[in-house]
Amino acid sequence: MTPLIDMRDIVKVYPNGVVANEGVDLSVEKGEIHALVGENGAGKTTLMKILYGLEQPTGGEIIFREQALEVRSPHDAIDQGIGMVHQNFMLIPSFTVAENIALGEEPTKRGLIRKRKAVQEVEELSAQYGLRVDANAVVDSINVGMRQRVEILKTLYRGAEILILDEPTAVLTPQETEELFNAIRSLVNQGKTVIFITHKLREVLEISDRVTVMRAGKVVGTLPTSEVTREGLASMMVGREVLLTVDKPHKERGEPVLIVNDLSYVSGDTGRQVIKHISFNVYAGEILGVAGVEGNGQTELVEVLTGLRQATTGTAHIDSKDILNTGPRNVRMAGVAHIPEDRLTNGLALLGTIEENLIVDRYFRAPFKKGISIDRKAVTELSDKLIKEYDIRTINGQVQVMSLSGGNMQKVIVAREFSSDPKLLIAAQPTRGIDVGATEFVRQQLVLKRTEGTAVLLVSADLSEVMSLSDRIIVMYEGEITGVFPDAASLTEEEIGLYMLGIKHQEVEDMEVVL
Amino acid sequence: MKKIFQSSGFRELLRVFIAVAVALALGFIVTMLVSEDPVGAYKSFLFGPVSKLNRFGDWIEESITLIFLGLAVVVVFKAELFSLGQEGQMVLGALVAGSIALFVPLPAYFLIPLAILGAMLAGFLWGLIPGYLKAYLNANEIVSTLMLNFIALKIYEWLLTNSIKPEDAGYTASDTFPVEGTMSSFIPPLPFLSEIRTLFMNQTNISIALYLMVIATIVVYYLMYHTPFGYELRMVGANIKFARYGGVNTKRTILLAMAVSGIFAGLAGAHVASGVHRKLILNITFGLGFEGIVVAILARNNPLLIPITGLAYGYLRAGANVMERTSDVSREMVLVIQGIIILLVTAERLMPMIQERIKVRRTQRNDIPPADTGVTPTEGGD
Repeated sequence: MTPLIDMRDIVKVYPNGVVANEGVDLSVEKGEIHALVGENGAGKTTLMKILYGLEQPTGGEIIFREQALEVRSPHDAIDQGIGMVHQNFMLIPSFTVAENIALGEEPTKRGLIRKRKAVQEVEELSAQYGLRVDANAVVDSINVGMRQRVEILKTLYRGAEILILDEPTAVLTPQETEELFNAIRSLVNQGKTVIFITHKLREVLEISDRVTVMRAGKVVGTLPTSEVTREGLASMMVGREVLLTVDKPHKERGEPVLIVNDLSYVSGDTGRQVIKHISFNVYAGEILGVAGVEGNGQTELVEVLTGLRQATTGTAHIDSKDILNTGPRNVRMAGVAHIPEDRLTNGLALLGTIEENLIVDRYFRAPFKKGISIDRKAVTELSDKLIKEYDIRTINGQVQVMSLSGGNMQKVIVAREFSSDPKLLIAAQPTRGIDVGATEFVRQQLVLKRTEGTAVLLVSADLSEVMSLSDRIIVMYEGEITGVFPDAASLTEEEIGLYMLGIKHQEVEDMEVVL
Repeated sequence: MKKIFQSSGFRELLRVFIAVAVALALGFIVTMLVSEDPVGAYKSFLFGPVSKLNRFGDWIEESITLIFLGLAVVVVFKAELFSLGQEGQMVLGALVAGSIALFVPLPAYFLIPLAILGAMLAGFLWGLIPGYLKAYLNANEIVSTLMLNFIALKIYEWLLTNSIKPEDAGYTASDTFPVEGTMSSFIPPLPFLSEIRTLFMNQTNISIALYLMVIATIVVYYLMYHTPFGYELRMVGANIKFARYGGVNTKRTILLAMAVSGIFAGLAGAHVASGVHRKLILNITFGLGFEGIVVAILARNNPLLIPITGLAYGYLRAGANVMERTSDVSREMVLVIQGIIILLVTAERLMPMIQERIKVRRTQRNDIPPADTGVTPTEGGD
C-alpha cells in the first residue's frame, strides 16, 4: 500500500545555522494514528511545521496522495486537508466557541454572518466525532480540555483529513487525556489520519498504531507500536539506557522546615476563595507531594508561599519567621527556592542570556556584587560551573535562553534554584513539557536534594510523578486538603483519584496527626 | 578576515549602509522633482555641515543634544518603559541651569558644576513623578510623560516671561549669561592652542559639553551592563514577571529608571542653555525633545552606539538645514527627504525580509534543476 504522506529526505537548516532536520523520511498511512516521538529539539515540531507549511524545507520532497506537494503556507496545507493543532492554543478568548471554529470560514448570507447556522454546524461536527463542546460558550470561560477540542474542531471544520496534534496532552488532566484519546479513536474510525507528537511514552503505547522516533534531527526508526516497549522507546529517543523509575534511598525525615497554619487566599480578581484555611508541615529530608486535579488551588498555594501573591489569612513559618506576604526577595532570603509552574512566564527572561538568568536571585550579594558593580568574572565562573554540572546544552553562558530547547530551559531554572542551597524547595510541575532525558535528570536531582536533607514541596498534575517521588502526599480539592497519606508507597492511583475528585474526604481530626 | 565579514556586527553595519544608500538615492529623486538645480541642492545637503566651520559647529552642538537625549531614551527603553518625557525634563534642566547661571554669584569653577548638577537634579525629579505614577498607581507612562512635558513647558514659559526676562526687554528671553555661567570652549586655554581656540570660539559654541557627553555615554553603558541597578532594569524590560519572581523590587526599578533617564535629558537642557544659546529663550529645545527616540532606535538601544547615531542623525538634520537655507528646496521637502531616510534606516525588518526573499527564490531555483537536466532523482520510493 502506498502511504498517504511520504516525506522524503527532508532537510531544514535555519538561517542561524541550526540544523533541525537532517534527511528525515516519514511515511504515514491513511487511517492510522502515527506517533512522532523524540526529545525536545529532536526536530519533530519542525518536521510537522514543514508539512503544515509554516516552515519551508531546505531540501527534500513531500509526496502526498502519490503526487509531489509543495506547501508554501498553512493555507495550502488546509486546502489539501492537512490541519494542525498547536501546543499553544490559538483562539480568541472573547469569541464564542462557534465563532472561533468558524472564524474566516463563516457561513454567510448576503455578506452577513449566519451565527445560528455556524452554531448548528459546530454542534453537528461535535456530535459526529464525540468532541464535546458548548458552541455558545465564550472561550475565555471554558477549560483547557474543551479549548483543545475547539482547536481540533476548528481544523475539522476546515475539512482536515489529516490532523497533526502537537503534544496535545501536555496541558491535560488524566481524565481529559482519556477523553481526548476516545475522540482520536473515533476520528480514525471515521477515516481520518492522525499524527500525534508527544514525548510521553505511555501515551504512545496506548494510542498509536505506529511510532517514529526522532533524535537530533534524524529518524532513528519507525516501528509498529505492538513491537515496542517503554524502555526500548526511551533509549531510542535518548540514545542510551534511561531509568524510568527513580531510585529513592530510605531517609528518615527531620524537623519541620515549613509550618503552614490556617492559610487562605481569596482571589483579588474574582473574589473567589481559592484556598480555604489549610495547615500542613514540610519536613527536612522529605518530599511532600501535592496531588489534585489542576485548578484546585495548587498554583495559588505555590504562589502565595513564594511571595508572588498575597495571602488573606494564616502564617507560614520558616525558622520561626513568618514568610507570608513578605515578597519574593525575602522569601528567597529565608531559604526558599522555587521552580515555577510556568517557566516561560515566571521562570526565565527569554531575551536574557543564560548568565543573566542564573543570577537573578543572587546578583545583589557577594561574590557577584563587588563595590558598585556586578563582577562579570564571578558570574561567568558560576554559569560555566552550573552549565557543566547541570548539563545545559549550550556553547557558553552568553547565549540567549530563547535559543535553548524546553528541556535545557528547565535545566537553567533547576540549576539556579538548586544551587542556591535552599532549606525548602518548592517545585511546581517540574517536568511538564520536557523530554524523557531532562525529566529523568530533574527527578533524580529532586530526590538527591531530599536525601541531602532539603525539604521539598512537589506540586504536579502528573499523578504517577507525585506517587513515585513523594514520601508523603496531600490531596487538594477545591482549595481544601481532603486527604493525607503518610506512606506514599502504599497507595494506588485509583485510591488517590477518589480524593482528587472530591468523592472521598478524610476527617479533619484524622488528618491533623499526620499533617 | 572572513570571520569579520560573516559576523553579525558587520552584517548590521552593511545593512545600515545599504539602507542609507537607498534612502539617499530616493532623496535625490525627490530633490530632482522639486529643484531647478538638484545636484547643487543635494550637494549642499550632503556636504553642507562640513563646508564651513560655523556649520560644523551647528552640527556638533545639535548632535551633543541628540546624544544626551538618546542616552535618556536608552535608559527607559531598556526597561520597556515608553517614556516620552525627555522634552519636559530638558526644558526644566535648561531652566535650572540658566537660573543658576543668571542669579547665583559664584566663580566659574563652582557655578558651572552647580548649574550642571542642578539640571541633572531637575531632570531626575521630573522623571520621578511619572515613575511613581507608573510603578505604584499603574498610570500609563506615555500619557503621563506627555502631560508632564506640557506642564514643564508652560512653567518654563511662565517663569521666563514673568520673572526671568528683564522688564525692559522687547522680546521673551533672558539676559545673556555671565561668562562664569557659560560652558567654556572644548579646547582648553593652553598657549599653543590659543589660535585655534579663538577660531572655534568665534564661529562655534562647541563647549565642554562634548566631554560631558562622552562621560555620560560611558556612565550609561557601565550602569546598564555592569551594575545591579542596570541588571534589574534590563530584567524588568526583558520579562517583568521573571524579575519579580526572582526577587527584584520591580516598582523601585521602574521608579528609578524613569528618574535616572531624566538626568540625561536634564543634561541636554544644561547643554542648550549654558553651552549653545547662553541665555534662556522661548522654544529652547528646538523641538528636539522627541528626537532622542530616533537616535536610540537607530542605535538599537545600545548606549555605546548612541554617539555614532547621534552624530549621524545630527548630520542629517544639519545638512537639511543647509539645503533649506542655500537652495530652492523648501523646508517641507527637506523634511520629506529626512523622513524617507529615517524610515528606511529604522525599518528593522527590511533587510532580513529581502534576504529571506532571495533565499526562497534560490531554493526554488535549486528545486527545479531535475527537470532541466532531464534526470529525476529516484530514492527508493515504491
